[in-house]
Amino acid sequence: MSCEDIEPEVLEKIEDIVVFMCNECGQGSANTAGVARMAYNPAIRIVRVQCTGQVGPIQIMDALNNGADAVACIGCCLGACHFFNGNILSMHRIKLLKKVFKELGYSDQFVNQYTSRAAEGETAVGDFEDLVIRLANAIKEEGTIKDGC
Amino acid sequence: MDVRIFQFNGCNKCFNETILLKGESKYKVEFIEDPKNWKEMKTNVSVITGYLLPEDKDVLEKIKSNSERVIGYGNCATMGGVFALANQHGYEVSPLNKFIENAQKVNGCLGEVEELSSAINNEEIPKLKNLCTVCARKTTCDYLDDVKRQIELEDDTTCFNDLGYLCNGFVTKECKERCIDYNAPCRGCKPIVERSGIRMLGMFGTLMGNIEVATEHSELGATDKLADRDDDITDRLPDVLGNFFRFTLPTSGLPRGRILSSGNILDDVFTGRLIEELPLISGLLGGDHSISLTLKIIETYEEANNIEVSEQTKSYRKELLDLESQLQNAIKNEDPKEYKKITDEIRKIGGNMNLSNLYFGGFKSPIDDEHNFEDYKTHVFDVVEGTYKNGSVEFTIDPIGIVKEIKIKEG
Repeated sequence: MSCEDIEPEVLEKIEDIVVFMCNECGQGSANTAGVARMAYNPAIRIVRVQCTGQVGPIQIMDALNNGADAVACIGCCLGACHFFNGNILSMHRIKLLKKVFKELGYSDQFVNQYTSRAAEGETAVGDFEDLVIRLANAIKEEGTIKDGC
Repeated sequence: MDVRIFQFNGCNKCFNETILLKGESKYKVEFIEDPKNWKEMKTNVSVITGYLLPEDKDVLEKIKSNSERVIGYGNCATMGGVFALANQHGYEVSPLNKFIENAQKVNGCLGEVEELSSAINNEEIPKLKNLCTVCARKTTCDYLDDVKRQIELEDDTTCFNDLGYLCNGFVTKECKERCIDYNAPCRGCKPIVERSGIRMLGMFGTLMGNIEVATEHSELGATDKLADRDDDITDRLPDVLGNFFRFTLPTSGLPRGRILSSGNILDDVFTGRLIEELPLISGLLGGDHSISLTLKIIETYEEANNIEVSEQTKSYRKELLDLESQLQNAIKNEDPKEYKKITDEIRKIGGNMNLSNLYFGGFKSPIDDEHNFEDYKTHVFDVVEGTYKNGSVEFTIDPIGIVKEIKIKEG
């Protein structure tokens, strides 16, 4: 499945996806993608952070409560964090947050974590694409996070 | 000064505790158990206890317009409390601030009556320290290699979190109930920060740094992402909501749950919790029946699994049940002195009014110096799948120990 296969009525519901990208690999790969003029979904809103280890459940829930449809963190590859292990810590927190969503009866695809490589723009764009497809599937099955109750 | 105390829904433990205010002659206390039929009259201070639902809005408006000050007493009123766990199943248990914006808050489960008293007198409530600063256990904040659901009771110097046993003490104020003294970790009934549960979630996620998290290769990006399958992180913490958000779910900023409700709020609170946490939760929400409810759950499980308890444990349990009926009488007679005496006795055996010391197969910590701890702690707990039924209590637990279904008949 690719982004083109998503039904327009589902795509319409995806308005804002907040993506926290780390200043090193994450933002680096987005820059590379930009230089190569690669296209990606216009719903993606990038927030630059020093390291995804900075982003915790508080920031993620604030984004979701203020209208984001989904949140993702994109950090360095595993073992390549520029601040020792920030990307792994972020993964742990997001895994717990995913569990919270499941326990509340929501899809766990509203929060996600990816890695990317600064030299390869397609990794960032591929992450975005994967993000949108997963979110579209979740919305189709269980509705958006807003039409919860 | 007129003080009127209103009991809304749920357990009446905090409401009962306000009997102690009667001993103070400074003000006139009136108890209103049925706020819906309350005849409006001007009052200086109104105290709200119990959890609040959207349909209580009109009554709360009435109270607000007739009172000079409104104080929320106990977690159920101030933050939703343990009953708000039913929000997971679509209920809308709400904090008092949603209805009355400038209401004062006295947190705690059970709320401390001294704090309520100074709030009524408009005195400044003393600033309380973080629970960790008064805890006898010492923390290193190192990454954990393992997360546990049960710990060895012998070790009483290492921090619960260092042992891999989740404790919310980091985000909690010091309190009178002190579950931590009875080998029961703190569940954060008096948060020291806003949105404490979600902060603790981040903190514990970080502490779990050494535990492997499952990732998978994503084809589109050719990079890694979090896998959808369960891993050590989620397996070790089967009930995140019940452990991190036990008292603070409506104020945590999480969306309201959309799991199908069973129609009974009490059953919904218990569904999804862990079997080893059941005595702690039933101790919280049983009100003046908490002892019999907790013992009923414990004994049902013990009988079905042939867990033998010592004579010493049995006699302590019987003593607790006697104290419960005495307590009910004292409440009926509105006798603060008797109430104080009996609750002190309960605290001596049960640890605190939340009965932190009660557990499967005995007690969690030594009760008095006369007997050896071994006399009333004989069994190491483990999870046994099955359906348990005993009179008014019936519950089913799955292989990992999560309560799938529960039925509790009132009374």
